[in-house]
Amino acid sequence: MISFGPASDALALWFAKQGVTESVASWLAVLIIVCVPTLCIVFPIAGIAQYFERKIAGYAQRRRGPMVGADGVVRLVIDLSLFWQPRWKRQKAQAFVQGLPLVKPLLAWIRKWGLGAIAADGVKMFLKEDMAPAGANRFLFRAATYLAMTGSYLAYVVVPFSQGFHIADYPVGALFLGAVTGLVAVSILQAGWSSNNKWSHFGGIRAVAMIVSYETPIALCVGAVVMWSGTMSLQGIVAAQYASGWCSFLGWNVFQTPLMLLLAGVYYIAGLAECNRVPFDLSEGESEIVGGFHTEYSGLRWGLFFIAEYADMMIVGALFATMFLGGYQSPIGEEWIVALPQPWEAIVHSCIMIAKFVGSVGFMMWIRWTLPRFRIDQVMKLAWTKLVPLALFGLFGLAVTQWLASNANGVTEIVHGRYVSAPVVPLGAIGVGLSWIVFGTVAVVLVVLARRYGEPRPIDPAVKDALVGSGTWKPVAPAGKDGAA
Amino acid sequence: MSIELDRDGDFITLSMGPHHPATHGVLRLVITTDGEIVTACKPDIGYLHRSIEKIAENLEWNQFAPYTDRVDYVCSMNSNHAWVLAAEALLATSSETKLVVPERAEYIRVIVAELNRISSHLVGVGSMSMDLGAFTPFIHALAQREVINDILEKACGARLTYNYMTIGGVACDLYQGAEDEIRSCLAELEKVMVNFNRLITTNSIFKGRLAGVAVVSPEDALSYGLVGPNLRGSGVDFDLRRDIPYGVYDRFDFNVPLGGAYAGSKGAVGDCYDRFVVRMLEILEAIKIIRQALDQMPPSAGKEDDPVGGWWLSKAAAKALRKPPVGEVYFRTENPRGETGYHIVSDGTKNPYRVKIRTGSFCAVSIFEKLVPGLMIADIVSVIGSFDIVLPEVDR
Repeated sequence: MISFGPASDALALWFAKQGVTESVASWLAVLIIVCVPTLCIVFPIAGIAQYFERKIAGYAQRRRGPMVGADGVVRLVIDLSLFWQPRWKRQKAQAFVQGLPLVKPLLAWIRKWGLGAIAADGVKMFLKEDMAPAGANRFLFRAATYLAMTGSYLAYVVVPFSQGFHIADYPVGALFLGAVTGLVAVSILQAGWSSNNKWSHFGGIRAVAMIVSYETPIALCVGAVVMWSGTMSLQGIVAAQYASGWCSFLGWNVFQTPLMLLLAGVYYIAGLAECNRVPFDLSEGESEIVGGFHTEYSGLRWGLFFIAEYADMMIVGALFATMFLGGYQSPIGEEWIVALPQPWEAIVHSCIMIAKFVGSVGFMMWIRWTLPRFRIDQVMKLAWTKLVPLALFGLFGLAVTQWLASNANGVTEIVHGRYVSAPVVPLGAIGVGLSWIVFGTVAVVLVVLARRYGEPRPIDPAVKDALVGSGTWKPVAPAGKDGAA
Repeated sequence: MSIELDRDGDFITLSMGPHHPATHGVLRLVITTDGEIVTACKPDIGYLHRSIEKIAENLEWNQFAPYTDRVDYVCSMNSNHAWVLAAEALLATSSETKLVVPERAEYIRVIVAELNRISSHLVGVGSMSMDLGAFTPFIHALAQREVINDILEKACGARLTYNYMTIGGVACDLYQGAEDEIRSCLAELEKVMVNFNRLITTNSIFKGRLAGVAVVSPEDALSYGLVGPNLRGSGVDFDLRRDIPYGVYDRFDFNVPLGGAYAGSKGAVGDCYDRFVVRMLEILEAIKIIRQALDQMPPSAGKEDDPVGGWWLSKAAAKALRKPPVGEVYFRTENPRGETGYHIVSDGTKNPYRVKIRTGSFCAVSIFEKLVPGLMIADIVSVIGSFDIVLPEVDR
């Protein structure tokens, strides 16, 4: 008998009532609980995320981005439903439908925003031929896509969307996350190796080297937050960030001490590397190793990797929100939401959570369309000489802060149960202020020292002046009326 | 089981190209790697060979001009320029066939050639930043190239292979309002370049990728015959436009940017970043030259049919080309990819006896074999990008 929370229990009970064996019923219930949300919510979300990524790319590059309308759908439907008619009659019918009072503005609206691109991308992926290259290990080649999806989507199991809205709240949720997101590295290595392509092989090797390296700072950051909250359950971590009153954002981890801010930065950078995003997209670096690990994949299999990448991004965003930005809690008072009747509490909390992680995913996309790519040695150096020491510093600093605070406030026992809304370590206003002052001063001193004794100005001032001017730069108005996507 | 490792120690032999996203065409590099580190690199060229030099022997002088567009299609104006200047130099060896190129035509040649130099460098720096993973600067650079293409299209009717310059002049006068359009294009370009430089040139990841990579010493640059921005990136102060001026280039005041370890303490004179910055600075110098040329350019004669040398060919040029003098000439010009030289042998008939084209990219490819070993796979794309090679120019 397995269980994935109250919803799956209820479903299993219902199956059992229909006469299904108890163990089969529980498995069925879990399958449905996991797969239905995945298929119904996350697939479209990946499409929508990709649409927004293209829009962001369009804005960054001063062009429109997706411009596909839905006129093709109308034409296709009429062509198929009136297939026996001559072409000119079908065209008449299409023109008639496209000019209908409600249809016309709708089509214009879809065309204006290029919303048809979402559907067109999906359809294109489904219609392409599914090929495995000659000499590939077909079993591993195909299994890699499923493994990538599994790793990405299992992580959603523990993400809390509201006080009671999660698939499962494991007491070891943070550990579970680390375990399942590790599957991504395996799937990429497997895809790269089984493709029988040297470029894919390079992509796989690079991905493993990178992901394994960046899991270290991630684990240290998660460990620090777990230590601070006193629990591994993600619901517990969220609950530990509760603060009463209208300034409830002050309870969020990231505002507790500058060390948390540091850890949040380290986590975000390492998270970028974890989901192979620019500037860490070495495993697929299209200009270096062709397509990296997915060079040989086509159609929906490639699409699954693609969706898995977006799912990974959202997981990193969701974890970032959960660990540092108070999870689903609102920044302006939490009591009024908790007091709402049940479906509304869940809805409001979920919306806040989604807004938070969409924000951090959007930032990743912004980075994607701004920065060039690192080289593999630079990536490794960044992980082991910068992020790991910083994360260690954050971890130990947090430990010392926690020890001092618990001594000062007389907390001898960390009391924490699930859904308990109380900060674990009451730093108090003086403690928070003190920690910001101490660490802020240290940071300022470090920056001043680095400026004075660090590397000289990296570029010749005269050349820099010729290149970027003397600071009188203004944004340039878009050239021409419209640039097509 | 699946990967076929060419085992010789721990080395893998990889064929980078001819169909590879970063080789700017159909270059093939046979590289041997030890993990990510490249131990040997052998360029394999010839995939785009079209026998242009042989074709020249079977065409009349003016008929060959469109083929020079195809020698380097990213800057066909400059290729045209080299060809017509070489042909005019040959015709000038005899007093009977010497052509007088109208002054306005000379200025128009300089303006369109420098515009094309800008657009060529925009493609070069843009595609290099794209090779390094930054896609947005590439789009910004290409958007600006479109504006230049529009101007050149209005001038000659084509967007890529212009065939605008003819022996003895240019095919037709600049269109009405060209001067204003060019000036506003340059003004906008200056702003866009600042934007571009803030986005990518001064980006620390970008600098880190390029600093100290594939350093070419001035001696190496000279002994491998590097030319143009690749030579100047190594600190060798040589620019044909200034040192052996052709056309009306001696009338302009411009600087010749040189490599100067711009990437800071980790950089060295002659690394990839220097070559990149030299191109960026050359764009600014080209803007200066075009502005001066526009100021100095004499007004149009106003005659519809014979404004600046003739429609396709002036009568004098047509007459001279019917019976060119016997002899040979080598004429070189400064193209965006460096010195392009046309060696023409004439036996007095209406077809050239032999045409030999010397191009910059060919020499740039030859130095890869020395530079690449010891670098990483990701550095190969920055090396290819920094030398700004164009494959039709390599193979011809």
